[in-house]
Amino acid sequence: MEISGVITLIAVTGLVWGGLAFFLSRAVKYEKIKKANGEK
Amino acid sequence: MKQEEFFSSRWALIIATIGIAVGTGNIWRFSRIVAQNGGGSFLIPWAIFLLIWSVPLIIAEFALGKSARFGPIGAIAKTAGRNFGWMGAFIVFVSTAIMFYYSVVTGWCLKYFLSALSGSLFDAADNLKYWENFSSGYQPLIYHFISMAFVAVVVYRGITKGIEKVTKFMVPALLIILVILFVRAVTLPNAIEGIKYFFTPKLDVILDYKVWLNALTQNAWDTGAGWGLILTYAVYMRKKEDISLNAALIGFGNNSVSLLAGITIFSTVFSLSSVDAMTQVSQSGPANTGLTFIFLPLLFSKMSSSYLINVFFASIFFIALFFAAVTSLISMVELATRTFIDFGLRRRRAIIIVAAAGFLFGIPSALNLDFLTNQDWVWGVGLILSGAFISFSIIKYGADKFRTEIINGYGSDVKIGKWYNFVIGILIPIQVIVLILWWLVSSVGWDPEWWNPFHIENAGTAIFQWALILVLFISFNRLMVRYTLNNRKED
Repeated sequence: MEISGVITLIAVTGLVWGGLAFFLSRAVKYEKIKKANGEK
Repeated sequence: MKQEEFFSSRWALIIATIGIAVGTGNIWRFSRIVAQNGGGSFLIPWAIFLLIWSVPLIIAEFALGKSARFGPIGAIAKTAGRNFGWMGAFIVFVSTAIMFYYSVVTGWCLKYFLSALSGSLFDAADNLKYWENFSSGYQPLIYHFISMAFVAVVVYRGITKGIEKVTKFMVPALLIILVILFVRAVTLPNAIEGIKYFFTPKLDVILDYKVWLNALTQNAWDTGAGWGLILTYAVYMRKKEDISLNAALIGFGNNSVSLLAGITIFSTVFSLSSVDAMTQVSQSGPANTGLTFIFLPLLFSKMSSSYLINVFFASIFFIALFFAAVTSLISMVELATRTFIDFGLRRRRAIIIVAAAGFLFGIPSALNLDFLTNQDWVWGVGLILSGAFISFSIIKYGADKFRTEIINGYGSDVKIGKWYNFVIGILIPIQVIVLILWWLVSSVGWDPEWWNPFHIENAGTAIFQWALILVLFISFNRLMVRYTLNNRKED
């Protein structure tokens, strides 16, 4: 695989899948906080 | 509204909205567009447009629906002013016109799932002939009816008992199936060649404006940003629900599925195709069906030496496609139903009207692929205008006021900064203008009779049909807005 392909692979999957994992973890965190505060 | 008219939790809302965004386009259209636009050269702008088009518009739709508690007509009328309700009506019509033929496409997926399961798909000597025999007969009409009837029952049952229940099953099932197919595809011999093509950019085309514009349109159509569908589901968000974090999750979640599907398709095609793999991925075929309904069944038959394993993989692929289509179709039917509910009708009566109209107006597409292609062309491009109207309503309201009062208002987990004013107020309008101009200029070159409204895919037919609908809605604007804003009834 050419170096440009490797860079694109890392950049695109990193942004899209990394972004999803980041926002998902934030959402889980805020839901946990709400649950701890007694919100349904 | 009664309590059951709200999504029961953040996760229920996110799953249902992912169901809107992830459709058949993530699976077959995305792969074809990547192949036609130089693989990795396309993926870079596609990822950028997720950030500067799709996510900001998804945020806007969530905020409009949550604050107005109306479908697009009422939401735009309340935000931009009563004189602009016709813009909301146009958004509703575009998604409803897409619903008419999308129900037909959903039926195709169901038919191919049943054919794969029974093995008759592999018994066919010629996949093209199999497709032509199916699509030219009366069967698409039956499957169109089944799809519309199933979705109508789901929407009739309401938000928690219908939409939430079905999407909570179908969306996770779809994701699990895609992961199974992904693992199988990347472990096929020679799959790395497909992955190489998928990610390696062609440096000579990376600055080609067509690649960037295709990336924008694909991302917009892929995520459902600007369709009015997310706005409609947002009507049923709880007041304490967050907007921006949920919107980011939908956008990134949707594009993650596209990447998963793209790698799966490219790995499979490059591993199992005996002829030129790229020709197969990039060709459209009739009504853009070439890859999915003609070429992929052939590849599934070669996946292993075991007939049963091949039947298994083909079946789960087509059921995943069916789930993807159904969860998107549900949102289109709900959008039209919501509009009638806003006019003062009860859900039961509204769904009967929408389902009956959906079946009747889908008949031409079920029986004639040229008609379906025309409608896909006209209303697919019309979505750019829908996105523009949403952006306009926020500019009219005041981008900063919209951001601080609504997006960052009660329930927000994450506050978004002033960058949003620039994106929604300047960047998105620029993108719309460039996109429409590019489309107009290039479509003139595709067809010497570009003005002729009776051609299948040209500027004339699109502009003619848009104009017809716009004139109609502008004429009835006052009436529609009055009915929507003054006749709210408990659903």
